Amino acid sequence: MLSRAVLSTVATAAPCVKNAALLGPGVLQATRIFHTGQPSQAPVPPLPEYGGKVRHGLIPEEFFQFLYPKTGVTGPYVLGTGLILYFLSKEIYVVTPETISAVSTIGLLVYVVKKYGASIGEFADKLNEQKIAQLEEAKQASMKYIQDAINLEKSQQALVQKRHYLFDVQRNNIAMALEVTYRDRLHRVYREVKNRLDYQIAVQNMMRRKEQEHMINWVEKHVVQSISAQQE
Amino acid sequence: MASVVPMKEKKLMDVKIGELPKWILMRDFTPKGIAGAFQRGYYRYYNKYVNVKKGSVAGVSMVLAAYVLFNYCRSYKELKHERRRKYH
Repeated sequence: MLSRAVLSTVATAAPCVKNAALLGPGVLQATRIFHTGQPSQAPVPPLPEYGGKVRHGLIPEEFFQFLYPKTGVTGPYVLGTGLILYFLSKEIYVVTPETISAVSTIGLLVYVVKKYGASIGEFADKLNEQKIAQLEEAKQASMKYIQDAINLEKSQQALVQKRHYLFDVQRNNIAMALEVTYRDRLHRVYREVKNRLDYQIAVQNMMRRKEQEHMINWVEKHVVQSISAQQE
Repeated sequence: MASVVPMKEKKLMDVKIGELPKWILMRDFTPKGIAGAFQRGYYRYYNKYVNVKKGSVAGVSMVLAAYVLFNYCRSYKELKHERRRKYH
């Protein structure tokens, strides 16, 4: 199908090449070349196991590493405490009734996450694993199917090498049939010729017998005639 | 002399303080460029904290915390009136 499309485009593009299309649909014209670029051979990188590390669920680890050379381990915590006190004292963060609700909400969330986080994670992991197992199964089934098709193709190609046995058998059969016919006809010829010759022999025998009988009859008649003439 | 990297391709962390205005002006401020910047930032965060096999609550909680902070900053003007002391 592809070669036909190529042929038609080539024929319309350059009329002088039309006579080359007479080569037939089995020959792929090389005037249009597809897929000239190199296909990307790199496999897709796998999904990372864990995300970027985050401390206390809020602050990325990079921040702690950024401050570590200058302030050591306690630096970010001291900075955090200082900032909180500064915001409270200067009332950049205003303490309202919402603060209480925020604190209780955050406390509840932290409790829930600490208590049930691991089990929910395992459940999600199990779901993921099921999905991946399904996909893997589909992939294996497809691979097996294609492998079976390849094996079938190979065995059929191997069969092509053994076709000569079939032809040999057919040739032998034909030769034998010819031989049988030849001998049969030879036999018939022999029989016909023998028939004709037998007929000739039978005719000759019959003629001789008839002549003998006739002669015997003639002699008898004359003997009887002469005897009867003598008795007179 | 080919060891000097042209200005256009330097990352932000490699740009010196004195060259900062020039570097900022060099950036792509067309709508397509800004959309591209938002997309890049989103995918950077997404691929680092969310699109992993064993994600944690940190991926979502950081976004929520940033949202809370953003809304607090927006409503600070009204909250200023609920301060307990006038002079700090």
